[in-house]
Amino acid sequence: MTRRQRADRRQGLLLTAPTMVVLAALTVYPGVWVVWLSLQERIPIFDVARFTGLSHYVFLAGDSRFWNATRTTLVFTIVSVALELVLGVLVAQALVGQRRARHVAFSLLLLAWAMPSVVTAKLFEWLYHPTAGLLNVLLGGRGYNWLGDAALALPAVILADVWRTLPFVALLAYARLLGIPREVYEAAQVDGAGRLATFFQITLPMLRRVLTIAVLFRTLDALRAFDVMFVLTGGGPAGTTETLTIYAYRGLFQMLQLGFGAALGVVVFALVMATAWAYLRLLRAEDAHA
Amino acid sequence: MSGRATALVKVLFVLLLSAGCAERPAERGPITLVLKHARILGPADPFPPLLREFEAAHPGVRVRSEALPWGSDEQHQFFVINLEGRNAGFDVMMLDVIWVPEFARAGWLLDLTDRVPPHELAPYFPSAVAAATWGGRTWAFPWNMNVGLLYYRTDLLARYGLRPPRTWDELVDQVGQIRASERDPRLDGYLWQGKQYEGMVVNALEALWAYGADVLGADGRAFPDPDRAAQALGFLRRLIETGVSPAWTTAADEELSRRAFGDGHAIFLRNWPYVLDLVEAPDSPVRGRVGIAPLPAGPGGPGAGSTGGAHLGVARSTAHPDLAVALARFLTSEPAERALVRATVYPARTALYHEPALVARNPWLPRIHDLMLAGRPRPVTPSYLLLSATVQPEVSAVLVGLKPPARAIADARRRLDYFMASRR
Repeated sequence: MTRRQRADRRQGLLLTAPTMVVLAALTVYPGVWVVWLSLQERIPIFDVARFTGLSHYVFLAGDSRFWNATRTTLVFTIVSVALELVLGVLVAQALVGQRRARHVAFSLLLLAWAMPSVVTAKLFEWLYHPTAGLLNVLLGGRGYNWLGDAALALPAVILADVWRTLPFVALLAYARLLGIPREVYEAAQVDGAGRLATFFQITLPMLRRVLTIAVLFRTLDALRAFDVMFVLTGGGPAGTTETLTIYAYRGLFQMLQLGFGAALGVVVFALVMATAWAYLRLLRAEDAHA
Repeated sequence: MSGRATALVKVLFVLLLSAGCAERPAERGPITLVLKHARILGPADPFPPLLREFEAAHPGVRVRSEALPWGSDEQHQFFVINLEGRNAGFDVMMLDVIWVPEFARAGWLLDLTDRVPPHELAPYFPSAVAAATWGGRTWAFPWNMNVGLLYYRTDLLARYGLRPPRTWDELVDQVGQIRASERDPRLDGYLWQGKQYEGMVVNALEALWAYGADVLGADGRAFPDPDRAAQALGFLRRLIETGVSPAWTTAADEELSRRAFGDGHAIFLRNWPYVLDLVEAPDSPVRGRVGIAPLPAGPGGPGAGSTGGAHLGVARSTAHPDLAVALARFLTSEPAERALVRATVYPARTALYHEPALVARNPWLPRIHDLMLAGRPRPVTPSYLLLSATVQPEVSAVLVGLKPPARAIADARRRLDYFMASRR
């Protein structure tokens, strides 16, 4: 490193220092505090504040509601992210082939993405209306009980989430597709590659990098999913759409069991961190390959 | 000083400056009282004229009314966050009756016992007063009132010579008889609220009472009589299983069920009194064909609707306790609650229900009065929301058929025992 580089580096560190301090104050401090809180019994309205060690975690280990929420969180995350990925790429592919309708399609996609999730959820509440909902009318007047059936509620919530976040994946993929030179496709054509072969041999590998990033973002979001189910089902029926964050919310803001709620928060935090760490390792491994 | 050090100082200076801006200047001028309340739906908002009247009677005092978030969950969250801080930012607040003991226990409410003599509470419904009282002390002024009641289609019942059902068995029989003869596939029997939320707990409670059970025992345990409670929850499940109530009952809240009944697609509906004004509206398909009755009796007790509604409490952190109490007292006075009736909100003062001028406008008032008088409050305990949030998924699991009642009750009890133990 030259002197000049070292000086630049020091100035860079100095200039980012305030941001780092603020970030640390806003994330590390509350993070540590939540972990500390989760080791206590803290119920302000009952003047209860005592150290209880791991007792909340021990209780959670045997709590069927907790395991149900964990399963719901994981199923929701895996299925919704997978659907968003597949559909997002298909939509992007379709957009690239469009000429005239592209702008309209673009606006519609952005609209879905830009809408506040609570509004989206309200919209879907009407679509899922058991007697007058558009979805049931389209299905030939069948009375599907979307939000009140233990088997249908989670798929219904996932569908609403996919509709809302698919544009994110689609637009990222679309931007990358525009960057693939035509010559590559022409060469493939000359070599006699069919549409499927072109997609799997050229398009998908080219998209790989951007999709990895999209999946990282979407997974971390989905693990903390709250608003769609909070508005649509409140976690019901029978807790089948209750994610860990909804359970944590109930523990913190309704039961006012702050220590218990914090323990649930820590579990979500650990889940998110573990996932992020795994992804980052994956990305680094790919970098080493490339 | 080198260039980059200067840059750093500038950055820090800006940060400090922006932190300083966050502090508010001390209040000057006239005293401002802040009233936090939920918006009142209906033809007329009763608040603005009432507040101007209060201001006119108290020179130098201004009242600012601020709306709460829409949902009950969000309102509770708002209060918890703001009241746990030292200065709440409001003086008088509207409280769902189920929060009063919790907020009192938390020390967020001004104790009104010495300011409100017992005779001042006599004009209110006893169950409203019960919900405002905790630990033998008074914490709020009863403001508006609610009770669960049974709506029925007078035309359909009359067609088959039926009287409003007095027992749940009768109701089930009537649904079977009417639906068999009407042959209308879109006509549902009995609608109620079975979505996983507080409203479902209210419906479950009413079923428990009719079976002589309760959700909270004197010893603080959930479902003190688990066998009877299991029968009650089993009965609710059977309503859905046998088609007396539609399958979508498990997704129904007040409005979903009200709309279906209001469109003429059901014989019976359990709901609050607000539905009356809507089914009697000029464009209502069932106008003039709706009656009200007490909830039917069960094998273990008479039918009783759960009471609800809102109270007005005073924040303990208020800087003007005397004025804040005066405002709450004024808003719950007879003239002010009379204004509520005009806004189609049902007041907590019993006398208004027999006032000729009001009865002329709303002939249901005396009948609703009797139902409210017979209503029962939900358990008056600081742990009510803990209880409800714990019981909700279990009751819902019974309603959708995922769990047998006895197991759901055992699960709810185990979980609640854990939480209640931590509160001692």
